[in-house]
Amino acid sequence: MIEIDHVSFRHSKADGPSLRDVSLTIADGECVLLCGASGSGKTTLTRVINGLIPHYYEGDMSGSVRVNGLDVTGAELYETARMVGSVFQNPRSQFFCVDSTSELAFACENMGINEDEIAERVDEAARDMGIEDLLGRSLFALSGGEKQKIACGSVSALHPDVFVLDEPSSNLDLASIEDLRELLKKWKACGKTLIIAEHRLYWLRDVCDRVICMKDGRVGFDMPMDHFASFSEEEYRAFGLRSINALTLFVPKERNGVQEGSRRMVLRGFRHSYGNVEALDIDRLELPAGEVIAVVGPNGAGKSTFAKCLCGQQRRSKATIEVDGELRKRRQLAKSSYMVMQDVNHQLFCEAVDEEVRLGADVTEEEVAEVLGALDLLPLAKRHPMSLSGGQKQRVAVASALLSGKDLLVFDEPTSGMDFQNMELTASLLSSLCGKASVFVITHDPDLVRRCCTSVLHLEAGHVKTVIGGR
Amino acid sequence: MANSVLMIEGKRSGLVLDPRTKLLLLLTMAVFGLGGAGSDAVNAVLPFILLVPYPLLLLAGKWKWALFGVVAYVGSDLLMHYVGPLLTGLPSFLLLGSCAILNRFLPSILMAAYLMTTTTVSEFTAAMQRMHVTEKITIPLSVMFRFFPTVADEAASINCAMRMRDIRFGGRNMAKTVEYRMVPLMTCCVKIGEELSAAALTRGLGGVVERTNICRIGLKAQDIIVMALCAVPWVLLIIDLINGAFQGGLL
Repeated sequence: MIEIDHVSFRHSKADGPSLRDVSLTIADGECVLLCGASGSGKTTLTRVINGLIPHYYEGDMSGSVRVNGLDVTGAELYETARMVGSVFQNPRSQFFCVDSTSELAFACENMGINEDEIAERVDEAARDMGIEDLLGRSLFALSGGEKQKIACGSVSALHPDVFVLDEPSSNLDLASIEDLRELLKKWKACGKTLIIAEHRLYWLRDVCDRVICMKDGRVGFDMPMDHFASFSEEEYRAFGLRSINALTLFVPKERNGVQEGSRRMVLRGFRHSYGNVEALDIDRLELPAGEVIAVVGPNGAGKSTFAKCLCGQQRRSKATIEVDGELRKRRQLAKSSYMVMQDVNHQLFCEAVDEEVRLGADVTEEEVAEVLGALDLLPLAKRHPMSLSGGQKQRVAVASALLSGKDLLVFDEPTSGMDFQNMELTASLLSSLCGKASVFVITHDPDLVRRCCTSVLHLEAGHVKTVIGGR
Repeated sequence: MANSVLMIEGKRSGLVLDPRTKLLLLLTMAVFGLGGAGSDAVNAVLPFILLVPYPLLLLAGKWKWALFGVVAYVGSDLLMHYVGPLLTGLPSFLLLGSCAILNRFLPSILMAAYLMTTTTVSEFTAAMQRMHVTEKITIPLSVMFRFFPTVADEAASINCAMRMRDIRFGGRNMAKTVEYRMVPLMTCCVKIGEELSAAALTRGLGGVVERTNICRIGLKAQDIIVMALCAVPWVLLIIDLINGAFQGGLL
């Protein structure tokens, strides 16, 4: 049983508190979905339960948290670790070892369990999670979904009673989410208590039986899943939530009578192999230019390779694009295209936003002001890019691309880990680029596709499976 | 990233050495090869020690590195001996300088690369535990093992981002390009480091109980042979030192 008693918390660097007098009781074997807009306190609440607050993230905390009678606030982290297993958002940064078997054993080793028993537990965890084929592999060679399974397995080997998952699906594709759902159901069947903080809700509908929505650091509502699932779309919006009934199909935005643009682009020779493995093989593909095109497909379908070819960043690529009668080869593609990466932090180099967008571009003050204005960045012009929110950073990257005269933009999973409101903002940003640039969006997010993409390019095993819209 | 220098392969075949042996070998090569300790006697056996990484790399399936290493080592030796005396002034200086660097640095660098690519974090921590090194040293070092590939990964992404913005080395502003590279790299590494620590702590790292380790390491015949080879220059060095002390005392 988890008892959270009048807990308040303020991060030492934050202005306001992230939790305000929260009291909750979660019974053994309950599966709780923790939802709410970004900054509502979901993640903070998970950290209070696994003890990272106050032991790792410092700040002012009051109130008490007890898990099965253990005072988590007072106990050391390694004591809590026996009882509470944690899985985090980013698959890249939650493994400590470099090979999968050691990682599965890692938590048990820390507890000083003897070697023979660890070996048994590793085998058992691998069997339960269905990851036997991943044993003995380099973790750096695994996909995000596979890494996330290893993370779950590593925690599971310690046999904790409570599992806390902080946005475990945000970096996963639809197939990996399905796998994760099956895994959670197994834990549930074993009578474990699950607490899952998430933005994407649809996949947890038949896993969780209780929904707690956080709002401004307080519990907004706390209700059974049946009731939550019967909400109207407006009610989800009111709490800044995505719908639990989300379609998992990638359907493009309706054109609402807007004539299909007459501009076309022709992609030729999009081919690449890694060693003997063919990653991408597209001979010829015609797509609308100056619109927003979603690129979807499972992991390993060739989406990243496709994006690299588009941006002229794939060595020895013979890929060309013909737009308005002009043929662009690799070099011209590299000049005219820009990728907004999933981790935007990789591409912000300067100390102020206006300096950033001017870097490498010969532009006048007026042009800078115009682009910044159009992207709502004028008030932030003097801020340090790293001090901005995720969505704002994205807009800075877009502004810098537009100002350096790029007219082919590629977005790599722009909405992973975003709540409803931020996802809508990104969608309107993408829509606003229509006509200014040809935009490709690599995404696993059907909500985003429905809001802003005019066509959907579905890749599978390196080939074009379908193109919806834009014909 | 699959074939990066710092990447460890999951399945390993060929000759497996104990991490302790590899550490000793690296230390020996660094002291005598890189540091140039010892006198003529040491220099006579030194080439044998400096050649050890090549068969090791070959056996680990990294024949490209091994080939590159051997060609560079033998090539620089030949150049120094046969072409060196024919040159004077700056060309001779440059040739000697670059050959010496290749000769001295390369074997140790290859050995370090071999150590990094063929040792898993668990093997490494197990070896440190056997040597009774405190966890205060072992944990930061093992984090380093985990962190190098991550840094390389991040740096590759940042490089790509810089190319797309047309920011290059050797452009107008060298100092700036370094800064542009460092700022995002630091930001990302700090963030990853923080998340990594949080994940490790919730998995019980840093507890009071003594850690166990499922990784079975132990000294085998091949370890003894390599260690014996490493012992030779050390013994010679000690003999040298004793001799020196005696002569100093007698004079």
